[in-house]
Amino acid sequence: MKNHAELLSGFLDMAEAMLMAGAEVSRVEDTITRMGLAYGASNMNVFVITSCIIITMEIPEGEDLTQTRRVLMAGGTDFLKLEKFNDLSRRCCAGQVEAAALSEEVRQIAALSPRRWRMYLGSVLAAGGFAVFFGGTIIDGLVAALFALLICALQEKLLPLSMNQMSFNLLCSVIVGVLTGICTNFLTFLHLDKIMIGYIMLLIPGMAMTNAVRNILGGNTISGVMRLIEAVLWAAALALGFMIAMFITGGGLHH
Amino acid sequence: MVSITEGIIHLVTAGIGALGFSLIFNVRKELLPAAAFGGFLDWGVYMMAEWFFGGGVFLPSVVAAAFASLYAEAMARVEKTPATVFYIPALIPLIPGGSLYYTMSYAVMGQWDLVQSYGASTAYCALGIAVGMSLVLSVEYTFHKLTAQKR
Repeated sequence: MKNHAELLSGFLDMAEAMLMAGAEVSRVEDTITRMGLAYGASNMNVFVITSCIIITMEIPEGEDLTQTRRVLMAGGTDFLKLEKFNDLSRRCCAGQVEAAALSEEVRQIAALSPRRWRMYLGSVLAAGGFAVFFGGTIIDGLVAALFALLICALQEKLLPLSMNQMSFNLLCSVIVGVLTGICTNFLTFLHLDKIMIGYIMLLIPGMAMTNAVRNILGGNTISGVMRLIEAVLWAAALALGFMIAMFITGGGLHH
Repeated sequence: MVSITEGIIHLVTAGIGALGFSLIFNVRKELLPAAAFGGFLDWGVYMMAEWFFGGGVFLPSVVAAAFASLYAEAMARVEKTPATVFYIPALIPLIPGGSLYYTMSYAVMGQWDLVQSYGASTAYCALGIAVGMSLVLSVEYTFHKLTAQKR
C-alpha cells in the first residue's frame, strides 16, 4: 500500500516537472496514464490544468488512491527536458525503472538547467532576424539584437524580483521602450517600429495564445481559457508599457 | 505579394528566427539544424499559400500550420523524439508579431479603424494556426485508429 502512495507521488513529481518544462496538458495526462497502467493500476484518472494536477489511481484489490498537486510556477519551454521525460516514460512503460527510483530520476532531469549562452545567443538571433523579417534594415536588426541582450539581462535579474509575468512585462516594456525611443530620436535613420517588433517577438505570448486556442479546440477548455486570459493580459501589459514609453520619449510609436 | 529578393530575405530571416527560438527553447544540438530548417521551409509554404489564395492571412496560416505539423511528425519519426521539438520552431515565423504590434501602437494613437483591421488580422492568424494544427491532429488520430484496427 505504502508502495503505491510513493509511486503516485512520483507521478505527481513527473507531471509537475513536465508542466514546468512547457509540456502540453494533454501530453502530461497521456504520459501519466500510460505509466500508471504500466505499473499495475487497473485504471488511471488524470486531470491536469496548468496550475493543478489531480491523479486517482485505481489499484486491483485495493483502495483507490488520490493525490493532488498545486503548480505555482510556470516554467519556460525546455525541449531537452521534455525529450528526457519522454525517454523516462518509455523506459517506465517497458518496466525498466523501479517504482522507488522514479522520483529520483525525475529530480535529476528537473535539476538540469539550460546554458545561459543559449538564451542570450538565441534571443539575439531571434530579435535581429525578426526585425529584418518584418521589413527592417540590417542596422535595425543589429539594434534589435542589442536590445535583446538587455531583455535577457532583465529576464535574468528582474523577473525573479517581479510579482508575476504581467508586472515584469510592464516594467520591461517601459524600460526597453524608453531606451529605444531615445535611441531612435537621436539616430533618425533607425525604424522604431521594426526594432520593437523584432524584440517584441521575444516577449509576446504568441505561442501561448496559439496553444490556448488549440487547447480549447482540442477539448481542454479550462486550461485553454486560463492560458488565453493570461496571454491577453501579458500582451495588454506590454502594450501599456510601450504606451508609457511613448509618452515619456514623445512622438508616435512609429515614423 | 513580395518580390523575389524580399522573399529570399524573408525565408532566411525566418530560418534565423526559428534557430534563435530553438536555442531559447533548449533544443538539443543535433536537432538544431532540422528545427531551424522547419521555420525556413514553413515560411516558404506560407508564401506559396499566400500566392495561391491571392492574399489574406487566415487560409495561408491554416496551410502553413498544417504543413508544420506534418514536417514535425515526419522529423519526429526520423529522429525518434517528440514532434513538438520540431513543431514549435517551425511555427514561430507564423506568429503575427507585426500585426499585434501595430494593433497596440494604433490603439495608443487612438486610430480605432486601424486597430480594428490589425486586430482582426492578428486574431485570424492565431485562429488559422490553431485550426491548421487541430486539423492535422484530428486526421492523424483517426488515421492511427484505422491502421490499428486493420492489424
